[in-house]
Amino acid sequence: MTAARGHVAIEGVEIRFGAGRRTTVALASTDMVLRPGTFTALVGPSGCGKSTLLNAVGGFTAPTAGRIVIDGVEVAGPDPEVGVVFQAYGLFPWFTALGNVKFALKRLDLGRAELDKRALHCLAEVGLGGHAHHFPAQLSGGMRQRVAIARTLAGEPKVLLMDEPFGALDAQTRFSMHELLLRVWGVHGATVLFVTHDVDEALLLADTVHVMSAGPGRVIRSYTVDVPRPRSAARFDAALVDIRAEILDLLRPPPIPADAA
Amino acid sequence: MAVSGDARPAPRPRTRGAVYPALFRHARAPALALGRVLLSLGIVGAVWAAVSASGVFPDIIFPSPGSVWDAARELYDDRLLLPDLGISMGRAATGFALGAGLGVGVGLLTGRTRVFRALFNPFLTLLRPIPAIALVPVAIVWFGIGEGSKYFVIAYTVFLTVWFNTHNGMQYVPEVYIRASRSLGASRTREFCAVVVPAAAPHIVAGIRLGVALAFLSLVAAELTGASSGLGYRLQEARQYIRTDRMFAILIELGLVGALIDLVVGAVARRIVHWEGV
Ligand SMILES: Nc1ncnc2c1ncn2[C@@H]1O[C@H](COP(=O)(O)OP(=O)(O)OP(=O)(O)O)[C@@H](O)[C@H]1O
Ligand SMILES: [Mg+2]
Repeated sequence: MTAARGHVAIEGVEIRFGAGRRTTVALASTDMVLRPGTFTALVGPSGCGKSTLLNAVGGFTAPTAGRIVIDGVEVAGPDPEVGVVFQAYGLFPWFTALGNVKFALKRLDLGRAELDKRALHCLAEVGLGGHAHHFPAQLSGGMRQRVAIARTLAGEPKVLLMDEPFGALDAQTRFSMHELLLRVWGVHGATVLFVTHDVDEALLLADTVHVMSAGPGRVIRSYTVDVPRPRSAARFDAALVDIRAEILDLLRPPPIPADAA
Repeated sequence: MAVSGDARPAPRPRTRGAVYPALFRHARAPALALGRVLLSLGIVGAVWAAVSASGVFPDIIFPSPGSVWDAARELYDDRLLLPDLGISMGRAATGFALGAGLGVGVGLLTGRTRVFRALFNPFLTLLRPIPAIALVPVAIVWFGIGEGSKYFVIAYTVFLTVWFNTHNGMQYVPEVYIRASRSLGASRTREFCAVVVPAAAPHIVAGIRLGVALAFLSLVAAELTGASSGLGYRLQEARQYIRTDRMFAILIELGLVGALIDLVVGAVARRIVHWEGV
């Protein structure tokens, strides 16, 4: 992986929905740089524009103002160089696990045998080599997200976008998914942008954590986490404990006042 | 293995050959369903027999199960029961194939292409409330009293239903599938064939299943366009001779065959869109 792959520059990006009086500013003007091979987490309350920003980097939503530049090229639409893992329901239920991964590999113009071999290898990487011929409906939630990760990484994207990919999983499964994600990221080394509600998850995984606030959505604080991985939520480093307390403070909603008598 | 979060045992893979084991595994359910059907039919039959035995209605108005059975035997012996069925099924099948093929084709176009949507939808929406039977006079003028007019009436009914369902299915393809497809670098052609059509398949299949039922229902209307054979014609003929027993025999035949076809089509549909869990 060369250092130049996966440099993401978010330059004055502002995103509004609707027109006229009904306009919502989903994301106020935001600047952000994701250096190649780094892991960035976005945390913030519901509705603060995390998904909106991610969708803009993925090329699904055009910014109202500003631009997003990946390795010198402005984002103009979805691109296989920018992989996306969706929160849930992103897998095609009519294809098997293998079929889903093969879908991602089709654009590479491989021979039939090579295609199967590569797809199986990708599934084996996430520990699902034995489930290649299962349909998504026959897999648990955690297994489905592992297939989704395998499918996205199969195309060797240089940027990996993940929008609450483990939000629907139980704490145990989530924990093993973190290990798995860090392991495959170590192999593929894409630049990751990871959206989560969970401050601990952000601190376990990311190099940089951006904290966002709503109304209008913007980044209010950024933290650099230089504690070496693997990190443990149970025995958080003193530095992490402080950061966590600060972020939780930032995210604490204002108290609901009692009605005046 | 680093990942150990999934305690769920691996389910058995579903393969193409697994249809028979699946049938046997749930063998008790079909047996139960069959039992319920027989019970229901038995009760209806008993009430029917009791009412006709009470003599409230003359046999010529409300025939007894026995005389309907005799009428059915008589039709069979006259070599009418099965040939009529064959002729009618042939018409229904041809009309269905024309209507369903066209319905899926036009639905795929109007569902994803703005030009076709603008061109076809207002017109087709106007056609939808017009029942097949209202088209019979037009069909006779256009196609005469031969087979053509029968195919036309059936195909018309099937087409509108299949088109409508296909169109709607294509409209409501979840956005996340399109996003996944595009960010995985699929061409528009592959997106259409491998994502949009399968995503719409449950609706398309539901439309086709409805279309099969409608082909059957519009059959009798189609045979009003001056037929000299077929179940619809035989019903008309029975009316002229006030043979209520024959009418009942033919109606029961229609009901049984229709139910059987729907059962088969339903089973095939479930196999095709197996991921839907319908
Ligand atoms: N397509 C859209 N049309 C109109 N408004 C939208 C649209 N998408 C998002 N919004 C609005 O933009 C704001 C930010 O939404 P976004 O989905 O980015 O929030 P989020 O931070 O991802 O929230 P969550 O944590 O609940 O997923 C919200 O107020 C939302 O209502
Ligand atoms: Mg979101």
